[in-house]
Order: sequence, then C-alpha cells, then structure tokens
Amino acid sequence: MSEARAESRGGSFNTFLLVPILLFFGLLIVAVLRSPNLMSSSGIGSAEIVVAPLILSTYALMATALAGRATVDLSIGPLIGFINVTLIQLTAAGIIASPIAVFAYALAAGVAYQFVLGLIIIVVRVQPIIVSLSGFLALSGINLVILPRPGGAAPDWMSSWGAGTSILTPVLFIVALATAGWLLFSTTPFFGHIRLMGSDERAAYTSGVRISVVRLGAHVVAGLFAGLAALAFTALISSGDPTQGTTYTLISVTALVLGGTSLAGGRATVIGSLLGALNLFLIGYVLATFNFADVQGFVTDLAYGTILVLSLLLTVVLPRIQHWLRRISPLLLFVVLGLLFTGVALHATFDYSGLQHLSSGAAPVSDASAPNPQQNAAPAGAGNAIVDNGEGEGLIFEQAEKSPSLVRSPFATGVAQLAITLVAIVVILRLLVWQAGKRAMTPLIYAALAVMLVVGAWLLIDSAALVSKAGN
Amino acid sequence: MVDHSLDANLATPGAALLRWLGLAIAAVVAAIGAGLGFWQGLPAQQVIFYTAATIALVLWIWNAFLVRLMAEIVSRSAAARAGGAVSARTAIRRFVVQNRGVLGGLLIIIGGFIILSLTLSGFFTLVNLITGLVLCAALVVTALVSRAFVDNRSAFIGLMVLGVLFVVASLHIDGFLSGANFKSMLVFASFLGLASVGQTLVALLGGLDLSIPYIIGSSNVGLLYLMSLGIPSPIAVIIILLLGGAIGFVNGLLSFRLQAQALIVTLGIGFAISGGTQILTSIGTAYAGNVFGEVPGWLKNLAAMNGSTFGLNVPPVIFIWIAVAIVLIFGMKNSVYGRYIYALGGNRTSAQRISISERRYWIGAFTISGCASALTGSLLLGWSGGGFIGVGDPYLFTTLAAVVIGGTSLLGGQGGYGFTVIGVLVLQVLTSFLVGIGLKFEWQQFIYGLLILPMVALYARSPHIRTQI
Repeated sequence: MSEARAESRGGSFNTFLLVPILLFFGLLIVAVLRSPNLMSSSGIGSAEIVVAPLILSTYALMATALAGRATVDLSIGPLIGFINVTLIQLTAAGIIASPIAVFAYALAAGVAYQFVLGLIIIVVRVQPIIVSLSGFLALSGINLVILPRPGGAAPDWMSSWGAGTSILTPVLFIVALATAGWLLFSTTPFFGHIRLMGSDERAAYTSGVRISVVRLGAHVVAGLFAGLAALAFTALISSGDPTQGTTYTLISVTALVLGGTSLAGGRATVIGSLLGALNLFLIGYVLATFNFADVQGFVTDLAYGTILVLSLLLTVVLPRIQHWLRRISPLLLFVVLGLLFTGVALHATFDYSGLQHLSSGAAPVSDASAPNPQQNAAPAGAGNAIVDNGEGEGLIFEQAEKSPSLVRSPFATGVAQLAITLVAIVVILRLLVWQAGKRAMTPLIYAALAVMLVVGAWLLIDSAALVSKAGN
Repeated sequence: MVDHSLDANLATPGAALLRWLGLAIAAVVAAIGAGLGFWQGLPAQQVIFYTAATIALVLWIWNAFLVRLMAEIVSRSAAARAGGAVSARTAIRRFVVQNRGVLGGLLIIIGGFIILSLTLSGFFTLVNLITGLVLCAALVVTALVSRAFVDNRSAFIGLMVLGVLFVVASLHIDGFLSGANFKSMLVFASFLGLASVGQTLVALLGGLDLSIPYIIGSSNVGLLYLMSLGIPSPIAVIIILLLGGAIGFVNGLLSFRLQAQALIVTLGIGFAISGGTQILTSIGTAYAGNVFGEVPGWLKNLAAMNGSTFGLNVPPVIFIWIAVAIVLIFGMKNSVYGRYIYALGGNRTSAQRISISERRYWIGAFTISGCASALTGSLLLGWSGGGFIGVGDPYLFTTLAAVVIGGTSLLGGQGGYGFTVIGVLVLQVLTSFLVGIGLKFEWQQFIYGLLILPMVALYARSPHIRTQI
C-alpha cells in the first residue's frame, strides 16, 4: 500500500491525510447516530451509487492537479454532463447499445476532450484554468443544445445499476477498479515524472523529463477517470441531464482540496481524494438528516463553500505545525478511529429488541441468568450476550451504559466508565504517537483492519438477517 | 527599430505617393458621404461637418497606420534586397512563414464561407458576401497594422474587432443602429463595466476573483431585504456597499497566502456568501430564496431603461460608469496606488525591494472588487425591480472575458481599465449581435467559450519553459 511506504519514509505529505481521516470518522459517527440505516446493505448501496461519480471525478481532477501549473479542470462537471447526454442520445438513436461500446465511447470521449485540453495548454501556453473555464462554457452550452431538457433513458442493462439495494454493485466494482488502477499507476516511473513536473517544472525539464508528453499523459489519465465518472453519473440518474453534471465541478474541486491535494501540483494521494469525496458526501448526508425545510439547498451551499475555504487554509497552516503532527501515523489513526466508529455503529444499529431471537440459541447462559417472561422486551442482561470480540472499548461501555442494572451503584458505574475511558485514551494516544513510522507496527495494524472488516461484514449480514426476519 | 526605419524611409518617393493616395481616398469617401447626405435631405451644416470629420478621420488613420506600415515594408524589402539575391521560391516561402497567422485566418474565412454557401441554401447573399469581405479586410489590416504597435496592440485589436462587429451587426440586424438599441447596449455595458472594475484590478495583480457573481446576487437580494425591514433606502445601499467591501476584504485576506489558488478561495467564499444570504433572507418567510419588496423610485431611475439624468433621457448608470472609467483610467496612470499595482503585478520581488506592501495592495484590490460588485448588484436591483439571487450568474464569465478580451494580461502587470472598457463594449455588441440574429442562449454560451481562448492566446501566453531557466 502506498501509505505503508510513505510511512516508512516518514513522507511529509502524509500529514495531509490526518484531517480527512479525522473528519471522515467524525462525520461517519454523526451520520450513523442520526440515521442508523446508513449502515444497512441498502443504505451503503445507495450511498455508493451517489458517491461514485464524485469519487471518480475527484480522481480525474487529481491527475491533472498533480501535473502542476494550478491545473484545476473546472470543465469536469460539464464534461460529465456532455458524455452523459451524448451517451443518452446515441443510445436513443440505436448507435451504441452493448456495454463494451458504451464503455469505449465514454472513455474515448473523456480522453479525447482531455487530450485537446492538454494540447491547447501545451501549445498555446495559456493558463490551464482559463482553458478549462472556456471549456466549461462551451460544453455547458453545447450540452443544452444536444439535450434541451432532462430525459431519455440509459441503456437497458444499466438501468438496474442505480437501484442501490445491495452492496456489491457494478458501480462499486468500477470505483474499486479505478482506485486499484491509480495505485498501480502510482508505481510507474511515468507517475514519478508527473509528480516531479508538478512540484517543479523547471527541475523536471532540466533533468530531461519530456514535459509535454508527460503533461499530455496526465490529461489522458484524467480523461479516463472522467469517462468512468460520466458512466457512474449515468447509472445514478438512469437518464440524461444537461445541467446536473455541472454541479460536479464545485463539489469535486472541494473534495480534491479536502483530500489534501495541493492545487499547486506535485502532491496528491488517492486515499486522500477518496476520503475527501466520501467526506463531502457525508457532509451532505448529515445536513440532510437535519430538517432545514426550504433552505436545505442554501445550507448545503454554505457548508460546501465554507469547507472549501477552510480546507484550503488548512493547507497553509499544516506545513507550519507539521513537525508535531509527523509523529502521528495516518494509518494508525485510521484504525483507531475505525474501532471507535465500529463501536458506535454497533450501538446505533444494534437491534436490541431482536436480540432475544438471536441470543436464545447462541448464548443460553444469558437467558438463564436473566429470565424474562416477555419474549420481545429487551432483557437487561442480554447486553452480556455480546461477547467481547476484542474489537473495541467502545462496545463495552456503550453496553454498560445501556444496562445499568448490571452494576449496582451508579457511582461505581461512573468510576468504571471513567477508568475504562481514561485507559483507552492513554492507550490510543500512546499507540498513535509511538514511533509512528516504524514498520514493526504494520502487522498489528493489518490485524486490526482485518478484525474491523470481519466485524463490519458480520454487522451487515446480521442486520440483513434482521430485516428479512422483520419482513417475515 | 520600427521608428528608425520609418524615419529613414519617409523621404522616399513611395511614401509621398502613399500620402497623395490617402488624400484621394479621403476625398472620395467624403464625397460619397456628402452625396448621400444631400440625397437624404439633411441640413447643409450637418453634411459639411460630417464631411470634414470623415476627411480628418480617414487621413489620420491612413497616415498613422498605413504610411508607417508601408515604410516598414519598403525598408524590409530593401534590406532583403541588400542581403543578396534570393530566388522567388525562397521569397514566397519567407512571406508565407512570416504571415502564416493571417493566411491561415483568410483560408478559414474563405473556406468556411464556401462550405456554408454550398451546404446552406440561401446563405449566398449580398449581405453575407459583404460580411465575408469585411472580415477578410479587417483581418489583413489588423494583422499588418498591429505589428507596428509596441504598447497598445491589444487595444488596437479590440477596437478593430469592435468596428467589425459593429459593421456586421448593422448589416444583418434591422434597427441595430437605432438610438434605443444604443441606449440599451450602453446600460448593459455599464453593469458589466462596473462589475469588471474589481476583476481588472485583481487581474493586474495576477489574481482572479470568482466571487463577483455571488456578491452581485447576494447584494441584489440583500438590499431588497434590508429595505423591506424598513431601513431607509440610501442607508441600506451604503450598508450593502460596506458589506460588499467587507466580503472583498475577507477574500483578499484569505487568498493572500494562497495567491495561486485565489480563484478557488473566492469561489468557495462566493458560494458560502450566496448560501448565507439566502438563509438569512428566507428566515421567517414562506418563500425560500425570494424576497419581495418595493424598490424606491430613485434607485429605479438610476438604472432603469427609461430613467433620466437631469432631464436628459439617459439613465444615470451610464454616466456613473463613464465617471468611474475616467477616474480609474487616469487614476491608475497617475496615482501612487495605481503605479504600485502595476509595479506589484509586473514583478513582486522588485516591488518589495522598494518597500511596497504586497499584502496591502492585494487586499485593497479585492476590497474594491467586492465593493464594485455590491454596487452592480444594487444597480441591477433598480434595473429589474425585484430581488433575484441568480442575477449575477452571467457575470462569472463575462467579467473575466471583458478583462481578457480588452487585453489585460492575467499574468499581471499589463493592461488597465481602459482596455477593459473596450472588452466590455466588444462583448456587449457581440451579445446584441448574437441575440439579434436569433441565437439561443446555449449557443451564445458556446461561442463565448470558444471566443475567449484565441483572445487570451493573443496577449497572455506564458513563455516557454526553456526560457524560464
């Protein structure tokens, strides 16, 4: 994994991942507490359908931003819209229908556009932002010409993609493939050339990098991701929309900046961009759980704008406090916060009333210890039935809170909770700061990650079972 | 170099011949004008006045540009002849290479005209033919003459574009040359011109301000909201202007350390401001995002199409714009503030060496930008009579386009508000033309998008990397 390497190097750009990670779990916890059904298979399924175009367009932006010269491709939104509407019109005309043709068309259109953009930037030598701005206008104009109002239908085989009822959707597959593709891409020498050019173009030129070719290559990669983003967008709305795609410009730039990418070039991580896009989605999700009625859209605007500015300012502040933050390992932070989140998610989504059914077979002891005449009422002692899986302190004290009858005096409860919390905090901090760059920690981290995955899978299967039971 | 060859060659008999030729052309043009004037039955005084003006103008243009140009060409060919005999083939090749831009442009125009004539039935008309010829002539003249300019080349090109657009538009659209159309074009140009004040200043420092449309929209809604709260209208306008300045100040403050990303910072702030204003104005009302209220008469008069200035049947906003333009053009040239902005835009390091505070001028430019945007938003409220948050949306691109078309370099340090005025007029005439020939908004947007690139390419190309090492 790229972070593991960066970690062993003590790479400085790592620090920029800390904020996205903190924000991600903070938002995730709030989201789960406010709306627990995010953690069901349909919740995750619909979330990934919605977030996929955003993630992919952020990747597309990342490729060109990495190449320097402050290349923020403002035309990414209209480009997504353009591929979407042309795809719909071509499908309606019956010219392309098969999945291969659709994929080939979307990718080719994205690459062709980005190629032209790159050529203009290289040959005419105009500021990239101006080129992308004129592309923004030209494309958003032509989109309305091609498809004056939303309508049309996606290819038949794609219409089921947007349902979002299960976790393993084709869209997830596309995102995973894109992420893996980027990780592979980042191991190539070509990627190194892009980074070198992005951080110092003159140095790259003098050391013999063919900067025109490299810049063009970055644009082609961006075009590939833009094509995938357009496909994900088409799957999301299952039709054509000439204006909706345009909104992706602002939110993907925000996601990019939030993910710690430097707009000046040379610094970008795929994990950061992924987290940035997820964070942006979660912000919208959390805001949607509060009922702002008429002003909902304005609150979202306000939040996005503010977050964009704040995260830009953060990139100014971070280098100054970096020598303190460097001792914190992003991956470890991720794991620790992940454990915390798992606890909260378990607490928020656990069906206490359904526990009776489940635990009756699995743990008869607890049934015996807490005899209960009523079948459906949540037995206080049932909290015991959840065996400590070793996956987090959160679970224990959340349970303790829920079942006060276990402990006789409230004072003792308080002291016990406080003690556990303090010990947990000390252990977490120690772990976080403890020689963050050492490779010795990595097996432990991977073990914890594996446990988290298992617990997550168990949680989802469990809730699915509960849902089906409730359905019966 | 140009001037030197000019002096050396003015004494040649060719130059004298050219001058006489110019005089003859001026006489012919003036005679045609006078004949037309008498034929239309205009008063003799007017005809004489216009004839004199025509002769003077034609002679001035001829002497200022063409004689100079011919002198240069003569000197060049003399130099080429002196350099030794060259074969005809080499000479042609050299000519093609030197004038490849013009030749390419001519080929595109002629080719496009032929293709359109062959594909579209009814395209081949006298008017279209004249249009094509005017385009070709303008292209040749612009390309040849603009070489003689060292400083204000972009202004000259802008003026030529403006002239061509004017001729083409008046050929194609009935009533383009009417007083009512001029007035409406000038009113819209004033809004755009006032909105571009800040963009010009910021661009001179090498930044970009994308919060302008959002500040315009917010001040538009915010002003109506303040007045609906019962605040007297002049005070409300002052509050809005101050608020706009404050937002601009914040823009400058936050983007100072992130100058390369000033664009993104201001975009984010603009979004936040626009959202915040809408939240504020929708609290307690049932209509989200819409504000209803009465716009006072003086504000309406200030910007509405039927407004009048001291009895003159012209809305005051045009005069406001003219005043602002005069102050800015002369101020930027003669005041310390203006010179320091050019100094900073030209070279940060050397400006800092003579202890010009970069922070102060950066923030100052953004503050002015916010204030000018708020003023535009307030005037637009007077023009439309109702608050609408999206009123500023077109200005996101048009302010930038006006600055760029005028010829202010986005790299900083070159250009000025006078150039932006030309850019504003070009954009406005182009818009009127496109609307006049019945083009839809989508196509207009498409054309603007394609238009800005060649314009920027003319003046704001960055040097090749090999020259920067």
